[in-house]
Amino acid sequence: MRPFCYARPNDLSEALSLLVEHGPDARVLAGGTDVLVRLRLGHMKPRIVVDVKHIGELRADIVETEGCLRIGARAVMTDIIADHRIRRRFPALVEAAAVVGSVQIRNRATLAGNISNASPAADTAPVLLAYGATVNVIASSGPRLVPVHEFFIGPGRTVLGPGELVESIDLPIASYKTGAAFGRVTRRRGVDLATINVCCLVTESRRVRFAFGAVGPRPFVVEDDLSAVALAEGDIGALTGGSSRASQEAALDRVLAQSTPISDVRASRDYRVAMLSVMSRRALDAATDRLRLAGT
Amino acid sequence: MVPAAIPITLVVNGRQHALDVRPHHTLLEALRDQMGLTGTKECCSEGECGACTVLLDGRAVTSCLVLAVEAAGAEVVTIEGLAAGGRLDRLQQSFIDAGAVQCGFCIPGMIMAAKYLLMTNPHPSVDEIQNGLAGNLCRCGGYSRIIGAVASAARSER
Amino acid sequence: MQTTWIGRSMARVGGVDRVTGAQLYVADIHVDNVLHVKLVHLNCARARIAGIDTADAARVEGVRCIMTAADLPQPVPRYGPVHRDRPVLAVGETKFFGEPVAAVAAETEDAAASAAALITVDHEELPAVLSVDAALDPAAPLVQDPSLRANDPLAQTNILHEWQFGWGAPGDARADCIVENDYSFPMVTHFAIEPHGFLAAPDPEGVTIWSPIQHPYVLQRVVASALDWPVSRVRVIAPDPGGGFGGKGWPKFEPLMAFLALRTGRPVRLVLTLEETFQQVRRTSARAHVRTGFDLSGRIVFQDIHADFLIGAYADIGGRVVSKAGYAACGPYRTPHARIIARAVLSHTTPSTAFRGFGTPQASWAVESQLNAAAMRLGIDPVEIRLRNIPAKGEAFIPGDTPADGEWDSALRLAAREIGWHEPMPKLRGRGISLGLKSSATASASFALVRLHYDGSASVLSGTSDMGQGARTVLKQIAAQELGIPPERIAVVMGDTSVVPFDSSTSASRSTVFMGNAIVKACRDIKDTLKRMAAETFAVGEDAVTAGNGYIRVGGRELTYEQLLKSHFGPPRGEVIGIGQERNAFVTDHPLGGKPAFWELMCAAAEVEVDPDTGMVQLTRLALVSDVGKALNPQQVEAQDEGAAVMGLGHTFMEQLLLDEHGRIRNLGALDYRIPTIQDVPSSLHSVLIENADGPGPYGAKGAGEGGTLAIAAAVGAAVNQAAGVEIRDLPLTPERVWRAIHIRT
Repeated sequence: MRPFCYARPNDLSEALSLLVEHGPDARVLAGGTDVLVRLRLGHMKPRIVVDVKHIGELRADIVETEGCLRIGARAVMTDIIADHRIRRRFPALVEAAAVVGSVQIRNRATLAGNISNASPAADTAPVLLAYGATVNVIASSGPRLVPVHEFFIGPGRTVLGPGELVESIDLPIASYKTGAAFGRVTRRRGVDLATINVCCLVTESRRVRFAFGAVGPRPFVVEDDLSAVALAEGDIGALTGGSSRASQEAALDRVLAQSTPISDVRASRDYRVAMLSVMSRRALDAATDRLRLAGT
Repeated sequence: MVPAAIPITLVVNGRQHALDVRPHHTLLEALRDQMGLTGTKECCSEGECGACTVLLDGRAVTSCLVLAVEAAGAEVVTIEGLAAGGRLDRLQQSFIDAGAVQCGFCIPGMIMAAKYLLMTNPHPSVDEIQNGLAGNLCRCGGYSRIIGAVASAARSER
Repeated sequence: MQTTWIGRSMARVGGVDRVTGAQLYVADIHVDNVLHVKLVHLNCARARIAGIDTADAARVEGVRCIMTAADLPQPVPRYGPVHRDRPVLAVGETKFFGEPVAAVAAETEDAAASAAALITVDHEELPAVLSVDAALDPAAPLVQDPSLRANDPLAQTNILHEWQFGWGAPGDARADCIVENDYSFPMVTHFAIEPHGFLAAPDPEGVTIWSPIQHPYVLQRVVASALDWPVSRVRVIAPDPGGGFGGKGWPKFEPLMAFLALRTGRPVRLVLTLEETFQQVRRTSARAHVRTGFDLSGRIVFQDIHADFLIGAYADIGGRVVSKAGYAACGPYRTPHARIIARAVLSHTTPSTAFRGFGTPQASWAVESQLNAAAMRLGIDPVEIRLRNIPAKGEAFIPGDTPADGEWDSALRLAAREIGWHEPMPKLRGRGISLGLKSSATASASFALVRLHYDGSASVLSGTSDMGQGARTVLKQIAAQELGIPPERIAVVMGDTSVVPFDSSTSASRSTVFMGNAIVKACRDIKDTLKRMAAETFAVGEDAVTAGNGYIRVGGRELTYEQLLKSHFGPPRGEVIGIGQERNAFVTDHPLGGKPAFWELMCAAAEVEVDPDTGMVQLTRLALVSDVGKALNPQQVEAQDEGAAVMGLGHTFMEQLLLDEHGRIRNLGALDYRIPTIQDVPSSLHSVLIENADGPGPYGAKGAGEGGTLAIAAAVGAAVNQAAGVEIRDLPLTPERVWRAIHIRT
């Protein structure tokens, strides 16, 4: 690796002023599972690396507050997977977090870091979108709330400016029943990056939400600035049952038409398109099953 | 200009060490090159193969993805720290007995990952063993003996 | 009562060191005063080098030497195990992605890396030949300079060599059923968990090289020849490799390291990254057009095989891979008529080298798939069709060559039984079976020294490399058996050409047979000496002495070796040195230089479940049967087989190097080059050994260790065919490829 300086601020104001001072020459270091790879490959060439793991105000735990589960910036995947409240209320997040790398990676990788890195194939992203999460961003000017569907701009790019950090991620605890499921396709059974991934959420008021990853030059598939697909009434009915398989497939196709998958070293476009359909169907079925079981 | 080395202290295999580390050096490099603990191996250097697995504050991590300076004040356990008083750890013995060791290069990382697995899940199913070791590649063996070795070590702890 | 050490799954020698981290691989070796080396290569496969600017690099603090082709003796020395075609550093033009243009030696790794990054190479990218078609195009650039191939009629082509094998009259043979198909086998890389590493240091005699080389004596002669020195001046120390599989068999950067050591006068160290390792070694990829004629009962009438193997920019051992695989391409079957044309085709890619199976996995994929296709077409069970074609033990199946040396039909029956071949098949599942046959070593030589020490302990000196297959253990077991000495009183010394005698190689599954026999003979030599000593000491004729395993009987008394040695030598002490050699002579008019010492045969049977919506294939059951003659250490043999099978699952399901139009490897490194993980193995993997003691090695042993890579792909391919109704002839069977075959039918 090319040499760089290292700072380990103890509080937020020190950290933020370091980030402001160095601008694009500074890189935030949390779990390091993405950053160190990029440093080694020379994709990142910072002059200073700012380690956020000792900042007192950044929490490593998960707190129930203000009608949501607040996942602290320093919370790692292993702890998220093990948290019984997450397991009960947000099982799709457990499914996604459980396939982020290996145990060794999950012991270090933070959810905050995962979304800040904004890899197009990030497994947690579609799930956060489906659950309608909110990102609590902190800057020297103060905190701001960014709905997760506005957080990602493009591959590796988020709305975070210089001097800004993710403080926590809020998962809203719905007052109504939901069912959500995560699915993905990989090249092998073992640890792998997703060829495509998808999260589907259905609610007892028959709303359906799909979110996709790894299917386009932008990390999230939807057009314009929407990252959750709000469906026409006809489509919602078709997707949540009570209609023929054929009309379900047609409704699904209309959803998927908004994706723009590419060919790359992992898969070709054709295959991605086809797998989107397959995995979306499977995720919808699983989410619907979970909805039925919810609250029982 | 080369950034100055940072003095750190850390505990490795129960012993306190004081080191000057360059910020861009990894914990793996510090263990091998500065502390002479060559039992932890370097292979992919990007967290995909598990050969460099150590315990960092009680958790299995790939040491190639941890900067040495991040480990300041931490407790590290490497493969050299397993055999207590010259006696092999139960896992080490069962790996030998099961014929799970061939060239041996993946073994230190594999055993450390297995150690962590048994620490957190003393009686894992085959599925759980596979999940726990999913981040450790072996190219010589078929993995089935590794699974058997871990299961055997788990049974003998009862 | 004699203990037997043969057939025991004795604990691996070196096992404790490996589980405690004490085992020293090359990267763990500390040498004082070492300089760290970093190589510079270009970001494309082929480029003309206009100039190399090292001025900025030379100013980096700690840099001691920067070497380019211009700094080497002129003309730049070239090396290679067969063809001396590879320059120590690129001369004028780089020929593959990863070929070094310059080398930096510096006091620290950081300094070497900084300096390497500052070296600018003024270059012009040139069109690269990256496939067989591109290489054979008459307008294609020549990969190798014709001046390197004097007297070679093919020097103006990219064909390194073409071999033609065959017998009978395939052109005239009539067959009721003709199966004709094209098959392809991808470029894959060894991905041993230990990346390559090298050390070199000047020493009083010349130079010492440390390399985890599988063949220390090959390395010695290649380095000596590059330096234009006698071999006596080159010492090779070979630490146990962290996985070899052929990738560490043939010299890579050792000649360069020797020059750097001699130029700087200091030890030099180079440890490659995993990415750099991928750039240096790979398997020969291949495509084959196979036309096979069968009669209505499924008997093979003729085989007509055209196979093009894409080797890399330098020959390495690629020619041998092609000739050996081509020669035995028809597999373990009676083939009345055969025509095989096998070509080694040069390209601007990583030099392909030996890789477990040595060309036979590529050939087996094609030929075994042909049998499966015929079985389907003729309505014959795939096990049955093979039984109808298998030669009987002792029957020649390649005219004039080593006949079938095992009961090969039993391998088929056992594998079929293990997989539950006749059990009812659940939906979406399928089963397949395949044989694989590899010729072992042909002409080769192993020498062994055994030293019986004064106190009755012993040392075995052997040039075999222990890269995980357990050579140290097995050779110790043999010596223990022959000398009646418990293994804990026997040391095995390997890996130092200044200590151990000559051995051709650790390859071709030959070591148990060749080195094993050499050790048996060395032990016999010791016993002959002990007989003479006893006769002399007790003043009797030699015919009155019996030398057993661990004891001497003379004149009604029984002595241990130690007692005899004490009596004979007295207080000044001494030792008995035994020498043994096992050689197969070189046969000039044999296409392979000699007949195979034995055949390595393996049968694989697979059961899969296919998810037709995604193309994902799950391997539910895998059975492997190997005909090993005698398993000297059963646990080690089984572990080898299992490992070979899982390695075979790699090229079957997921491994392929992908090149871009610049000849760069796109999936360079562990993130995108996928090998099987612990989650990719079948829940049921059974390995069965056939032991009929019918091999040429000690106690009837044959060799083993490569078989698993030969038969897996075709067995799985057939199983996928049965499960999903698709015939796929290109590997790997990725989910996308399987999906495409199912859903996009032409």
